[in-house]
Amino acid sequence: MKEADDCGVEVVLNAVVIGLFPEKEITVKIEDHVEHVKGDTILIATGASENMVTFPGWTLPGVIGAGAAQTMMNLHGILPGKRVLMLGSGNVGLVVSFQLMQAGCEVVALADAAPRVGGYGVHAAKVARLGVPFYLSHTIVSAEGKDCVTGVTIAEVDSSWQVVKGTEKHFDVDTICLAVGLSPMAKLCDMAGCQMEDNPAKAGFVPVVDEYGETSVPGIYAAGDVSGIEEASSAMIEGRIAGIAAAARLGFVTQEEAKRDCQKQEEALSGLRQGMFAPGMRGKKITETEEGVAISQNLLEHGFVASEEIERFPGVTHQKGIHPVIECTQNIPCNPCQDACKRHCIKIGSKITSLPVLDTEAECTGCGMCVASCSGQAIFLVNEDCGDGTAEITMPYEFLPLPAAGDRGMALGRNGEEVCDAVVLGVRSAKAFDHTHLLTIKVAKEYAMKARFFRKGAVQ
Amino acid sequence: MNAEVIIVGGGIIGCAAAYHLAKEGVQVLVLEGSENIGNGGSTRNGGGVRQSGRDPRELPLAMYAIQHLWKNLSEMLDTDVEYYQHGNLRLGSTEKHRDILTGLTERGVKCGLDVRMIDGDEARQINPFLSEEVTCASWCPTDGHENPLMATMGYYKMARRLGAHFISGEQVTEIRKIKGAARQVVTASGNVYEGEKIIVAAGYESRFIASTVGIDIPMQPVLLETLVTEAVSPMFWQMLGTADADFYGHQTTHGSFVFGLNSGYEPYAKPGKPLSSSIASSAACRGIMHYFPSLSEIKIVRSWAGWMDSCADHVPVISTVEEVPGLILACGFTGHGFGISPAVGLLLSQLAMEQEPVLDLQAFRYDRFA
Amino acid sequence: MNDRNRDIGEYIPAPDDDVIVCRCEEITKGEIRRAVHDGMFTLTEIRRYLRTGMGLCQGQTCTKLVKGIVARELNVRPAELREATGRAPMRPIEMNILAKDRGEQG
Repeated sequence: MKEADDCGVEVVLNAVVIGLFPEKEITVKIEDHVEHVKGDTILIATGASENMVTFPGWTLPGVIGAGAAQTMMNLHGILPGKRVLMLGSGNVGLVVSFQLMQAGCEVVALADAAPRVGGYGVHAAKVARLGVPFYLSHTIVSAEGKDCVTGVTIAEVDSSWQVVKGTEKHFDVDTICLAVGLSPMAKLCDMAGCQMEDNPAKAGFVPVVDEYGETSVPGIYAAGDVSGIEEASSAMIEGRIAGIAAAARLGFVTQEEAKRDCQKQEEALSGLRQGMFAPGMRGKKITETEEGVAISQNLLEHGFVASEEIERFPGVTHQKGIHPVIECTQNIPCNPCQDACKRHCIKIGSKITSLPVLDTEAECTGCGMCVASCSGQAIFLVNEDCGDGTAEITMPYEFLPLPAAGDRGMALGRNGEEVCDAVVLGVRSAKAFDHTHLLTIKVAKEYAMKARFFRKGAVQ
Repeated sequence: MNAEVIIVGGGIIGCAAAYHLAKEGVQVLVLEGSENIGNGGSTRNGGGVRQSGRDPRELPLAMYAIQHLWKNLSEMLDTDVEYYQHGNLRLGSTEKHRDILTGLTERGVKCGLDVRMIDGDEARQINPFLSEEVTCASWCPTDGHENPLMATMGYYKMARRLGAHFISGEQVTEIRKIKGAARQVVTASGNVYEGEKIIVAAGYESRFIASTVGIDIPMQPVLLETLVTEAVSPMFWQMLGTADADFYGHQTTHGSFVFGLNSGYEPYAKPGKPLSSSIASSAACRGIMHYFPSLSEIKIVRSWAGWMDSCADHVPVISTVEEVPGLILACGFTGHGFGISPAVGLLLSQLAMEQEPVLDLQAFRYDRFA
Repeated sequence: MNDRNRDIGEYIPAPDDDVIVCRCEEITKGEIRRAVHDGMFTLTEIRRYLRTGMGLCQGQTCTKLVKGIVARELNVRPAELREATGRAPMRPIEMNILAKDRGEQG
C-alpha cells in the first residue's frame, strides 16, 4: 500500500465494485453513492472465498470458516470460541490453528478427510508440538447442539470417503472451524465477458489468462487467487506481472522493458511454483525430497517428525557448542534463514525449494536471527552438551505471557507430550526478531534432540 | 430421432405447447439451442399476468388464460407458480400520464375488460405504500402476477414427466421440406430430426429459422432488463406498472421485489450476449423510489438482461403457414408473451393436432404484414 | 448436447437429504437431488427452480456444494457443470445508493 501510494496511485478504500460493463466501465459504490469509472486497462484481483462442507448441524452458530476466525481474532480482537475443532490440514487450517492457540483458544483436534497433512510440514509441526492431535482420514459426522455448537463427532473415512462405523470420536467444543480450501471469486471476470474455464488445478471457475495475466478481453487482466488459488507470494508476483503488462499496453514502458521486467518476475514465480507443494503436485504422493531423503511419514500422518526420522535431514547435525538444528524436511519455496545468518552457516542455494543445509565449517554465534526468521518455526539453537550434563535449547516462542528466567516447567516433545523437566534461562526479544521471542531452556542433555517446546508449570 | 411434433425452442411457449401435446399422448421432441431451458425472455421478465394495457387483438388470449388456465396452473404443473390475482395498478403523476392511461383504459373497456381510472387517493387505498406523487392510475382487479421462473420450469418438468423429450444445446439451423412439407430440422451439430409438424417458438432466432423455408417475420431484438431485491416482509400483492412504462413489477411469494426496467436505450443494445447496461438499474431505482419511497433502503441483489422478439406491429405471430405445410410459427411476442403463454401453448397444441383452436387466431397470421 | 431424457436412475432418498445446503434460501440437499430428477440438469436451472445461490450471499457459500451434488446425481465431473453467470450488483446495494449515480453526493 505504501509502495502504491509513493507511486501516486489513488487508493480508495471501502469502495465496492457493483459491476463491470462493456467498454471497461466499472460502477463502484463509494460511501452513499455510485460512481461510473472507465479504465483503459482493468486488473481484477478479487481473491477467493472460503469453501464449506455440509454435515448435520453445519448451519449451527459456532461453525465458522477459518477466514472468519482470523478476521475475528486479528481484526476485531474477539475469541471465536474456547474449545475448537479444526477441519482441514492445509496451510490455512494449520496456521489458523496456531493463531487460535496464540489467541488463547484450545484446539482440541485437527481433522482432515485426506490421509496426509495437506499443508507445509513445518506449520503442522508447530501445531503438533503444542499438543494438538491430528486425525487424518477423518471427517465430521455431525455437529451437536441445539442453539449453538456444543460438541462434534468425527470418524474415520475409508478410501472412498465413506465413514467407517465404530470409529466415531466425540469432542466437547463450542466452535468448529472449517479450513477446507478456497474458491476463486471470479464472477466479475465472468460478467465482463472474459472466457472462463472450470479448472480443478486452479481450484475452480476462473478466467483463462495468458502468461501476463491478460484475459480474453483485451485490456482486462486477472491476478492472484481470482485466476487460480496459490500462495500469497505467488499472487504478489502475478500482480506485478499484470501491472507491467498493463503499463506496456498503455505505452508507459516499452515492450522490451516490459518483457525484461516480466521475465525477472516470471523467474521468481516459477521458483515459487516448484517443490512438493507446486500447483502441479496437488494430490500426488511424494516419498522423497529432491535431495533424495525419505519424507517423514509421521509428519504426513500425525503432524510431526518422529525422533528416529529427524536425523536424516541435512539441517540436523551434531556439533560441539551452540549450533542451529533446522527441522525443515520438505521442499518448500522459502529461504529467509539463508540470508538471516550473517555467518553463512545455512545454505539453500539458488533453488528456493531446496532443503537448508548446515555448513559445519562456519561458526554459529548463537545470534538467533535464523530462529526468528523461520516462519515455520523449524529452527532451534542447540548446545547439546554444556559440560554439566545439561543441554541448552533456544526456540521461537510466540505466546503470552512470556516466561521469565528461572521459570520451571516441562519441555515438550515434537508431539506435544512432556519429555522432561526444564528451566528457563532467558527470553530474548529484539526488533530484528519481528515479534518472535527467543526462549532458551535448560534440560538434561539426553533430551537435547527431543525437547522442542516449553510449558510453564508444576515440576514432577 | 423422430417425433410426431418437433418444437424448436425450450422457452415457456415451447414448454407449454409440449405439455399440452404430451398430455394428449402426442410424441413431442423439444430442441433448445442454449444450455438452459427457458433461457430467453421466459425467465427474464417481470412476471405480469395482465390484461389491462394490452393490444385489443391480444386481449382475448390474456382473458382466456386468466379465466381458464392461470388459476389451476400450480396444480396442473405440480409446481407452485406463485400466481396472485390481486389486480394491476398502472401509475401516473402528470396530465400526460393521465391521457395515456385513459386511452389504454377506454380501449380495454371496449373489449369488455373490467378496468377503470382511479385517482391518487383510491390508488393509495389499494396500495398504502404509494407516494403522494401518484395522481392517477388505471386499475384492473382481475390482473395479477406469477413467478416466471417457476411457470417455465413447471411446464418443462410436467411435459417431461408426461413423456415429452427435451434436448438442450441443440441449435436448429435449418428446416427442410420433404415433398413440399416441412419435415426435418437440422442442427448446428449436424443432427437431423424428423417430425410431422414443426413448431418454431425460438424468440428472435425464429426469424432465421423460418427464413430457411422462405418465410420472414419482421422482428427485431430488443433488450429487456430486470432487477430483483432482497426478501422483505410481505407489503402488497398487486402487479405494478407506470404510464411511462419505465418500470413494472411486483413482490414475490419469497418476499423479494422483481422489477422490469426500461431506460429507453433497449432497442439499441449491442447484438450478441444480452448484457445489463451500467445505467438502467440506477434509473429504475429513481423511478421506483419516486412512487414507492418506502422501498428506498431495500437492497438490490441482482440484475439481468435478455432479448425479446419485438414484432413490427407489436403482436405475435401464432400461425400455420400455407406455403409450408407442417410448419407452425409462434414468435414476435414483443415482451408481453408471458401472461398469455398458457393460452398460446394450448392453441399451438391444437394447431399441431389439427384441431379447431379455442380462440380465433386470424389476427396473428404470419402473412398480415404483406 | 444435453439429452434431458437420458437415464440417470431413480431418485433414492438418502439419510442426509434434510441437510441444508443453501443457507440463505434454506434449500436442502434432498430438494436439489429431486430437482435433478425432475429434469433440472444445469446449475442455472436448479437456481431458477429452487433459488439456490439467489440469496444475499449470491451463492458464494453454496455454489460449489450444489455443483457437487448435481454432478454426482448426473454422474458427471463437477467441472462439466457451468456456474451461473456473474451479474451486477456483485454485492447487494441499497436502492437509494444505486439511484445516486449521476455525480450527486452526500
